[in-house]
Amino acid sequence: MRALVIDDSRAMRRIVSGILEGLGYETQQAGHGREGLDVLEGGWLPELVCVDWNMPVMDGLQYVSAVRSNPAWRSMTIMMVTSESEHTQIVRALAAGAHEYVIKPFTADAIRDKLALLGLLPQEVVL
Amino acid sequence: MTAMDTGERRRTGEARPLITELIDETTVESVAQEAWISLVGEEELLVPLPGEPVTDPVSSWVDVVGPWTGSVVLTTGRRTAEELTRALLREHSPEVLEDEDVADAFGEIANVVGGNVKAALPGSSGLSLPDVGEAPAVRNPEDVCRADLLWRGQPISISVQGALPPLPAH
Repeated sequence: MRALVIDDSRAMRRIVSGILEGLGYETQQAGHGREGLDVLEGGWLPELVCVDWNMPVMDGLQYVSAVRSNPAWRSMTIMMVTSESEHTQIVRALAAGAHEYVIKPFTADAIRDKLALLGLLPQEVVL
Repeated sequence: MTAMDTGERRRTGEARPLITELIDETTVESVAQEAWISLVGEEELLVPLPGEPVTDPVSSWVDVVGPWTGSVVLTTGRRTAEELTRALLREHSPEVLEDEDVADAFGEIANVVGGNVKAALPGSSGLSLPDVGEAPAVRNPEDVCRADLLWRGQPISISVQGALPPLPAH
């Protein structure tokens, strides 16, 4: 399975990618929403996108809206991973088309639990 | 009938909360501890004790804009910021850390701590992208909530400080 990790912090990209790779994902990284769209437009289509909210150039909410407006990308699961924890912001993200929401700081177990709920744990991890 | 302008409405409109009316030092410590456990490591404790003054300080901060406006500022020594970066990156840490690596990791810690401090404040607020460098000046000493902590024996301070100067006395 493939996952795209979008965050303007390289440290956070490495942490999230490390967790996903430990679960068996193949990952790619992008530093903001526009770069994340470039990855998709280049033909690398993941099952899962983990995207931060506050980023330069294109933020996470704009990214979610852009992905959801393209029918070819509608099957991708989007999980926001962000320090934005206000209820109204969570509702906005879910309304825009995100499937799940993880608030920083998080643990590896929290990511794993969310993926299990979404049915996105690779088979060898489930077993 | 025309209402007389007593100036009362203007004074009421000017009222703004001080950070010490909204959160306390214990809340800041608790937010920081949660961030440390998640980002730095499960065994990593922050001890609520002041340390010696830092000789080579570096700060990272995010701005909060809303009913209360100000910054959440982390300050520590440069060596400690580097150690924090290595702890955050764990096995992904490069052999030689660039300034950019430290700015990125230390900024992300400010982002996570600041985001959770923002969540403890009433009302809806915006959060800026993190910045790293010399800490923003304290504009109003009464509008500061500060936690002095030790991590691995080294001082780290977290200052939640207002962006506005004190209101003139009436």
